[in-house]
Amino acid sequence: MTAATADPYALDHSNLIATLRFSQQAPLILGQKQAAPDSDSIFSATHTRDDPAKYGTIEQLFFSCLQTGDDESAHKCLDQLTQRFGPSNERIQGLRGLYEEAISGKPVDLEECLRKHNDALSENPMNIPILKRRISLLRSLARPAEAIGGLVELLKAVPTDAESWCELADLYRSQGMTSQAVFCLEEALLIVPNAWNVHARLGELLYTSACSSEGDSSCRVLEKSIRYFCRSVELCDDYLRGLYGLALATSPFSESKHASDLVQESTPALGSGIISKDTFAKLNAFATEKLDNIVQHRSLNHQLWEVEQAELIAAKALLDRIKNPA
Amino acid sequence: MALQGVEQTILRDPALFYWILFPISIVMILTGILRHYATILMNNPPKPATSPADSRERQGLLRGVNLRNNGSVLYKESFDTRKSYLVSAFQNGEFLKDPESRGQPPANPMTDPAGMEAMMGMMKGNMMMMIPQTLIMSWINAFFSGFVILKLPFPLTIRFKSMLQSGVMTRDLDVRWVSSLSWYFLNLFGLQSVFGFILGSDNAANHMSQQMASMNPGAGVNPFQPGQDPNKLYLSEAENLEVMEHFCILDGIEDRILHNLASKKAY
Repeated sequence: MTAATADPYALDHSNLIATLRFSQQAPLILGQKQAAPDSDSIFSATHTRDDPAKYGTIEQLFFSCLQTGDDESAHKCLDQLTQRFGPSNERIQGLRGLYEEAISGKPVDLEECLRKHNDALSENPMNIPILKRRISLLRSLARPAEAIGGLVELLKAVPTDAESWCELADLYRSQGMTSQAVFCLEEALLIVPNAWNVHARLGELLYTSACSSEGDSSCRVLEKSIRYFCRSVELCDDYLRGLYGLALATSPFSESKHASDLVQESTPALGSGIISKDTFAKLNAFATEKLDNIVQHRSLNHQLWEVEQAELIAAKALLDRIKNPA
Repeated sequence: MALQGVEQTILRDPALFYWILFPISIVMILTGILRHYATILMNNPPKPATSPADSRERQGLLRGVNLRNNGSVLYKESFDTRKSYLVSAFQNGEFLKDPESRGQPPANPMTDPAGMEAMMGMMKGNMMMMIPQTLIMSWINAFFSGFVILKLPFPLTIRFKSMLQSGVMTRDLDVRWVSSLSWYFLNLFGLQSVFGFILGSDNAANHMSQQMASMNPGAGVNPFQPGQDPNKLYLSEAENLEVMEHFCILDGIEDRILHNLASKKAY
């Protein structure tokens, strides 16, 4: 068991390879669970206190199986969880909703799922897992406005849920409403003040908004974004995404923007000094060097390369671009 | 007074040992276990919020607390807008379940069903402790009072007399002799580690049901005690926010980065 499920909580579901490997162990893990009770009946009778990690593993396995299209194993996982916690458990209801959405192929079926969610919500308006399922279903049905409305309602009731704030930020960003997205990420930061990925995400948002806008405010926004990237690197000093953002934001491409606005530095509205040109260059040198290091180091390590292939390739491209600005 | 240096000997029937000491200890252990499971059985988890407005009232306060604690991650202007919003919202009672009833004295917890439930919970907990204790103590008093059942192998000072010899009214008895009622008290307070050994860690049995209870921990917890006026808490939180000094952790971060990290070449 220990070997099969090294650390289910560490599993990152955006990492497809790890997800696939994990879901391939489904028969093994699920089989174990069924074999356990009859192998040693006395032991299992006295030891009815089941360990929490087991069900955590099954839940993770459920997600992995759905992601890799192994619907049969996913159903088995769901059955085991339902057996333990009962079908009326809110979290189980959420998982069941997820399963039904995943196996339904046609948009009509998804509409049916949506109707089911609405029914469940009319029974208990504070069923958080189902509320969240409904919102993400609306999103996948390409109805972002309704999803945003739902999320805003949810956040009114539960304003301390960082996950929802991040989701709302992402929705706003997809609609091009950058300032609202920034606001949401700031709220998320207030809840998880040390999350370096949220810092980096906020930096990215600010950077894009600085790039897309013209005029005197864009310089200030760019500086804000640089500072958020810096903070994310400070919190996690080899965070690839933060370093990438820092290198990009301080790279010569954006420096021209910075320099063009430097003349208006007479208004120190930020309360902090404007980043000097010297610091700018130094930051860029630091970020590029570190990025270079990381790319070289991780490319050699097969396992790391497999995990973050896409990010490493992107970082490499950026480095090339900075080195030869042709 | 007992003569110093002279060993007091009391001729005890060894049956006392088997018929009093063991029964008391065993009964104590069994009641402890029974009480543990009875507590689990009767313990009802805190009720989650039933409506969005309810949940909003519970968690709105946390927003103020979060802003106060973690406000340093924001720039001054973002912080200031949030602060002024939250302060005015707290003062106007925007997060309250029913803003109309603001300022009125809190409902009597006896008539409020939610408050009643919480009080019942407390009552149940207290009863669970009191009833078995009273029963066992009267049982011991009725059957075994006045027995001296064991002699400690080490001397003690006279102060321990009241602790070890309750129920035995002999002034000159050496402190090392322990009476049955005292043995009960010693068991009552001294068996915690035995229970820990038998039942696993204290709340191992009800740990599992809480695991799946909620997606975000703390969502079901009600920060307000029954009978407490949320509005007062909000007003005091607004005051806390108003007097707070803001500093931004992002000020001078680029110099910090360059100083701390860029100087370290080794990766």
